[in-house]
Amino acid sequence: MEASASIKSVVSNLKKEFTIEFRNRFAVNVALSFAAISTIAISLALGGIPISPKMKAVLFWIIMFFSAMNGLSHIFTREEEEGTSLFLRLNVTPESILSSKLIFNIIIFLLLQIIITPLYIFFLQVEIKSIIPFLLTLFTGGLSLASITTILAAIVAKAGGKGSLFTIISFPLVLPVLWIVINSTFISLDKQNYYQYNNLLFLLAFSATIIAVSFLLFKYIWLEE
Amino acid sequence: MKIAMLVYILMPLSIILAFLWVPPAQFLGEASRILYFHVPVAMVSVIAFFVSGIYSIIYLYDKEKKYKLLEEKSFNSARIGILFTILTIITGSIWAKISWGTYWNWDPRESSIIILLLIYLAYFSLRSALSNNSNKNMLTSTYLIFAMIVVPFFVFIIPRVYPSLHPDPIINANREINLEEKMRLTLLISVISFTMLFFYIFNLTNKLSIITDKIEEKNYEE
Repeated sequence: MEASASIKSVVSNLKKEFTIEFRNRFAVNVALSFAAISTIAISLALGGIPISPKMKAVLFWIIMFFSAMNGLSHIFTREEEEGTSLFLRLNVTPESILSSKLIFNIIIFLLLQIIITPLYIFFLQVEIKSIIPFLLTLFTGGLSLASITTILAAIVAKAGGKGSLFTIISFPLVLPVLWIVINSTFISLDKQNYYQYNNLLFLLAFSATIIAVSFLLFKYIWLEE
Repeated sequence: MKIAMLVYILMPLSIILAFLWVPPAQFLGEASRILYFHVPVAMVSVIAFFVSGIYSIIYLYDKEKKYKLLEEKSFNSARIGILFTILTIITGSIWAKISWGTYWNWDPRESSIIILLLIYLAYFSLRSALSNNSNKNMLTSTYLIFAMIVVPFFVFIIPRVYPSLHPDPIINANREINLEEKMRLTLLISVISFTMLFFYIFNLTNKLSIITDKIEEKNYEE
């Protein structure tokens, strides 16, 4: 009974998030325009000069990282700015809030990837040699980035949503993910039929650890003394 | 008090041992003496990080507020830690210049110390951004705990999951420390004395925090 009630509350929260998000589409628009601008800027600046697969992987994930920084912190700062966080704190358990926000961020980030990746491939003439490892890397990388940035967004929202602070505190914690994901993307761009699942395993383990600890610590961030 | 005595005895001892007693290493020559300062300083910077993480965990679980000033103590540890991290980077890059010819070349150890520095910087930025927040202690403590979870991924897991990563050249260059008794002993004494030094400074800063807290309380009452 209790489990179904909490699932219901997560679903209703999620519905609310999507309704608010698609009412003005702020987070998605900002992240998308940022990604599009930076992709086009890189392509324009290169002016057709060929770059190595390693460089392509690095640029791709730098764009992804900064789009995440622009789009994903909004989920908690919105509650603080609009003054709705107190209402949520009183009526919904911290766990169901974290679940709904986490699922929302993961969906939004995967959506962003679905739009940005073809754009990037189109503008930078990227040739993917092993398609399945590439897609799996995108998915697991997105999962890890979204899971760590969600909990850090909760911390930053309490600091008044100061823009650059989010990037500063996220960067050192996101670095292991970026490191692995860039290497994995490089391999899938460079080598044909290359299957190495160590990287994906690392990313999944990383996201699982971060999500588990997020659930343990979220109440300390969310509830005020 | 006992720690202070140990520091006053061990610090000069390890300096004398490092410069006068130990023979220089085979390939590196006199420059190898930096080993007895670089390695302990690097270890202390990690110890300081974990001390502040552990204080943060105690802070979150101590609901009845049995212990005072835990957040300040973890901040003190981080403050000393960043100093030692910078010293590690300086001594390490000097050594790298001598043995490999460049100050910086991104081997796994170098990357992990830079991550540690970035985490410290991020923690200080977060702490100063939250200075007016009533929930500051909780938020900075949770951030430190998250950082403490991510660091092992960097230091221990990545080199193992990744077959393509090089073995650490720092260890290879000095495999002789495992062979020579005198070097091992000096390194051990040096590590102990630097760790003692850390706890000595840590105690001093903690005392300072307690005194400042008392003065503030008194001012508030008046």
